[in-house]
Amino acid sequence: MPIRKLYKSERFLRVIFGACLFVVLCMGGLAYKYIHDLSGSFRWVEHTYEVHLELENTLLLLKDAETVERNFLVSKDSTYFEPYASIQHDLDQSLKRLRNLVSDNPVQIENTKELKLKIEKRLAALNTTAEFVRNGTFDTPEFTTSFKQSGQLMQSVRFKINEMIAHEKALLDVRRSRSTESLFNAPLVVYYVLILSLVLLLLTYGQISTNLKKLRSKNELLETYKESTTQSELVSKHGNWIWHIEDDSFEFSDNLYRLLGEAPQSFESTMANFMEFVHPEDLDRLKEQVSKMIEEEDLPFIYYRIIQKNGAIKHFKAYGKVLISTAGDRRLLGTIADITDEIKNFRLVEERNLELERNNKELASFNYVASHDLQEPLRKIQTFISRLETKESENFSENGKLYVERIKSASARMRSLIDDLLQFSRTNKSEQSLEISNMNMLLQSAKQDLVEIINKKKAKITSDAIPPMRVIPFQIQQLFQNLISNSLKYSREGVETKIHIAYSKVSAKEIPEIKSTTYKNYHNLTISDNGIGFDKEYSEKIFVLFNRLHNKNEYTGTGIGLSICKKIVENHYGYILAEGDKEKGATFKIYLPFT
Amino acid sequence: MQDDYTHVVLADDDEDDRLFFTEAFEELKLKTNVETYKDGLALMDALNEPETLLPNILFLDLNMPKKSGLECLIELKKNEKFKNIAIAIYSTSASEEDIENTFVNGANIYIKKPNDFNTLKKVLSDVVTINWQYHTNGLNKDNFLLRL
Repeated sequence: MPIRKLYKSERFLRVIFGACLFVVLCMGGLAYKYIHDLSGSFRWVEHTYEVHLELENTLLLLKDAETVERNFLVSKDSTYFEPYASIQHDLDQSLKRLRNLVSDNPVQIENTKELKLKIEKRLAALNTTAEFVRNGTFDTPEFTTSFKQSGQLMQSVRFKINEMIAHEKALLDVRRSRSTESLFNAPLVVYYVLILSLVLLLLTYGQISTNLKKLRSKNELLETYKESTTQSELVSKHGNWIWHIEDDSFEFSDNLYRLLGEAPQSFESTMANFMEFVHPEDLDRLKEQVSKMIEEEDLPFIYYRIIQKNGAIKHFKAYGKVLISTAGDRRLLGTIADITDEIKNFRLVEERNLELERNNKELASFNYVASHDLQEPLRKIQTFISRLETKESENFSENGKLYVERIKSASARMRSLIDDLLQFSRTNKSEQSLEISNMNMLLQSAKQDLVEIINKKKAKITSDAIPPMRVIPFQIQQLFQNLISNSLKYSREGVETKIHIAYSKVSAKEIPEIKSTTYKNYHNLTISDNGIGFDKEYSEKIFVLFNRLHNKNEYTGTGIGLSICKKIVENHYGYILAEGDKEKGATFKIYLPFT
Repeated sequence: MQDDYTHVVLADDDEDDRLFFTEAFEELKLKTNVETYKDGLALMDALNEPETLLPNILFLDLNMPKKSGLECLIELKKNEKFKNIAIAIYSTSASEEDIENTFVNGANIYIKKPNDFNTLKKVLSDVVTINWQYHTNGLNKDNFLLRL
């Protein structure tokens, strides 16, 4: 939305402000012009009256002259004629003033010229009349003609003056109507302009107030962030500092002081004061890094140590970057984390890992000892027994033969214990990888390995079709083998041994024994037999290493087989459960997750 | 010595095992010459002597002092002179690792020492009468370990 953006921008505000300024200036100019015009029109009215007055004055003076003429004519006394000179002078002055007044109007100048001519003529006629009177020849027809003429001249002067007055009046009318118009228009224009600038002002005000509101909420957000930074510094053992490079001043956050083992803002925040805490061995490296930070843009983390006043050594991890403000000021912003605990933990973990590795090695060598060194003497014992049996049996008494038999069975038991233990310790998941395997084939192989005992017991083993799964193949084969051989071992006398391996798919929710799991669905393999079964109370115990429910005279076994089963199932993140029904049979349920 | 005798050699540090081995061949009454060495070093020194008669079948224990069976195997396979010797690994353990290592390094068969003297006799008689040409051609990891 470019328009909306424009509306919001600072530029828009500037434009509005400029427009307002322009409008107010225009308004002032207009008002000035109108007032100026108005005062002009008043001046013109005044001017018209002045012209009018001067014209009247001229006429009056001319009439005065005429009176002097008459008086002189009637009295024939020359003293009556004396004022004439001053009247003539006044008339001249009056005409000059008139000429000045109308100097801007060519028509009136012309008129004034004409008027002056007419007045001069009239005055000439007057002088002629006076000449006649002085000579006493005023009864002549020439005088009568002259006198009549002067009357006509007077009339034409009067006409001229009237004409000029009329002209001024007409001018005045035009100007008055014009000034009336501007008098009417001026307030209207001023009013509109005022309204317009008010609207613009309101718009600007609205914009400024929204911006202010935004600024305030941003400020609040900033305050929140600041507080959250302070809190997170406390929680995560962080501190930060700002170095204003131009004026070489520093700001340290409160937590930075705490990390140094001091009270917040308890000493002046300067580089030198900070460097006092740095471990002497790390000091040069840190100084070098800081000077690099100012020059370069991005640097990896720095690790260094500080020594608190109480002597405690802390490990710091730091990062710094130069920020350049819009005004061009450079600030170095640095963040410090106290990683003492992490380093301690890391060392602890490392130590434990080493210990674990050692333990694993020991276990591996134990495996070797079990598989090789323990088997060797046993093997020899067994071989020597077989030598005794074949070569020396006729030299033995009956008791001797019995003892040899006992030694033989004891060493055979020892061998199966070693083999099973080895099997158990080899059942580790870490070395084996899961692969999609044909479960039916694995079951088949397990049965193949047990074929002799199956045939001997005439056992009937049936199974559902099992889909392929992601498993450790030899371990699953071992699982099948152990469970089937378990069922075969604990079969009931006089009953046809039947073993069934059932398969179904279940969701985790349907299995009450599974409390929490990351897997949704499980494969369920159920191996059930019709053997001697066991008491319900032993259903957990039978999976414990070396735990046997029967005397070894009754049933052979090491008590490791089912422990191996449990370990295998757990390697596959699954569950194995046993259900027994005494003298009816046992059921083993295996749940393997869909992976 | 006559040519139709099979020359059998065993390198094993265990005195009892050497005894069982020779006794078994004595009882088997096959046409064999049996010779034993007490460790890998003694075996290799003897084999490297020019006048020593090279064995037809060499039984190697793996865990021996001075020179282990695996070291002997590697050394033998490097030398063209010994290419006709059939090498049988004869060890107490049958760990996957040992089986893998000896198979990769060219041993012909892997025998886990039996617990029973009669079984031992049967195993040794089987190994001596194997048609090595046939066995070596069809050799793979599955039939490498001699099943009892």
